[in-house]
Amino acid sequence: MNETASPKEIMAAVIAHDLKDGQWVEVGANLPVPRAGALLGHLHHGPNMTVMIAMTKAYLRDTPVIEEFEFITDVGAMQWSEAYYQHDQLLNNQRHRANGVFFCGGIQIDRFGNSNMIGIGSDYKNLKFRGPGPIGTTNATAQNGTWHLVTNSHDPRVLVDRVDYISALGYGRGEKNLREDLGLPNGGPSSIITPLCVFDFDEETRSARLKSVHSGVSVDKVVESTGFSIIVPENVPITDGPTAEELVLLRTRIDAKGALRG
Amino acid sequence: MSDVRASRIVEVEEATAAVKDGMTIAIGGFINSGHPMAIVRQLIKDGRKNLTVVGAASSGLETDLLIAAGVASKVISPYVGAEGFAGIGPAFRKAGQDGLIDIFELDEAHFYAGLRASAQRVPYNPWKAGVGTDLPKVNPWLKEYRDPINDELLIAVPAINIDVAFLHAAVSDIYGNVQHNGTRYGDISMHNAALKTYVSVEKVVSPERIKADPLRTSIPGATGIIRAPYGSHPYSADGYYVPDAEHINTYLAAATSWLKTGDRAEVDAYIAEFITGPADHADYLERIGIRALLSLNEF
Repeated sequence: MNETASPKEIMAAVIAHDLKDGQWVEVGANLPVPRAGALLGHLHHGPNMTVMIAMTKAYLRDTPVIEEFEFITDVGAMQWSEAYYQHDQLLNNQRHRANGVFFCGGIQIDRFGNSNMIGIGSDYKNLKFRGPGPIGTTNATAQNGTWHLVTNSHDPRVLVDRVDYISALGYGRGEKNLREDLGLPNGGPSSIITPLCVFDFDEETRSARLKSVHSGVSVDKVVESTGFSIIVPENVPITDGPTAEELVLLRTRIDAKGALRG
Repeated sequence: MSDVRASRIVEVEEATAAVKDGMTIAIGGFINSGHPMAIVRQLIKDGRKNLTVVGAASSGLETDLLIAAGVASKVISPYVGAEGFAGIGPAFRKAGQDGLIDIFELDEAHFYAGLRASAQRVPYNPWKAGVGTDLPKVNPWLKEYRDPINDELLIAVPAINIDVAFLHAAVSDIYGNVQHNGTRYGDISMHNAALKTYVSVEKVVSPERIKADPLRTSIPGATGIIRAPYGSHPYSADGYYVPDAEHINTYLAAATSWLKTGDRAEVDAYIAEFITGPADHADYLERIGIRALLSLNEF
């Protein structure tokens, strides 16, 4: 069934496969891929995961079909709530984030895993494109124990050599021990997950390295769609997409309306 | 001096009269929910200028509207947008690109650190995240420093001192004891950082109802309470109604026209039709229409 999975279903499976039971994971609204990945991990192998969905703490393994929400403030999610996450209290409590997993987007993401949510253009006071703002990405990428960069646009304008502004710090410009020297609690991003492939980061240079390509995608296609120079190993495997069982979970319980297939 | 306990119910004009040009105000809620829109519209009608607007940790189009209407000259918010309706607020984009306003760039954790510093009456609160990023470069008010205890590199987030906070909640008694439905977002932190807090509510209830569940009281004694059923329209109010997608898209089309063409005609027409035109909140609701309002069911 793997060969029939859509690129976004493959991305969700990549996210799910990396999640471990017992971790704390946030499911944002209007982010269908990380949502599906987190829920897939929860349903498939995460009975003790703490899932935050639409500002509530939820346990969803007994829920036959998990409805999607357009807004993070949707009260419909409260039907599952074991607790409310009051936003200011959530941010005051960083102590428990070491066990957390976060998925960071960006209007630009660079080869060293830095993300820009601020804007595009060299003059900050006169940007060519004003971004949405950092939201919570600066903090979540510093505090959660594990984090990934995720983009739905594998495009040279998004995947760039150097972001115009760093709002979430990855590996800087590849300086040795940068995060440790800054005293940041986690070791940096694990991967960049895109509709074409998965990158990890070279242990020495900290630059993005092609880890796997999704089924049907060539290495050349990835290279021409990427705005930075990629480290390409001799053998690039095919990404582990959803198993038959996972695809059924995705299509019948998590993404019944097909947001990942559109 | 009267020995009768005073009611804190006020008209919306009395609440906004607490704001003078140049002040710092906060607007509660979160993205598409819980904004005190009857108050926001009154601030625009009052013609306030040069306000620093502390939007929610994730602000919605209420902050975008205050930019479009020329009320805000500075915005303190980690995000201005409307999720699925619009990833980035169009007036926020326009103003950011053309340098029309100052944007106090920060993460939501910095946002609450700044509010906490104000609540604690100290100059700043420290925060870890943000070191090594460009935030202190684009926002010189965020300062990297070495802490005196462990010599650790941290960010000093200055106190976000608020003159007047405006919130929207479910209910209050006439004495200003407010109870929210739902998760309350960051409303309590805004109240704690503000000299005055005015709250519009869907319904004013009896003191007995408040005292039946005091743990639920979120704002124990607001400065003033405004009666405003549908007071968060076109955004949702937990326990009452969902966002009015059609109206939100009407605003977005008008503001996006300004962004794309530089012509203010459509956004000015929106403001004239729905903000400066209506005589009061009831008149606004009449323009929206009873059928539209009654269709915004949660379940």
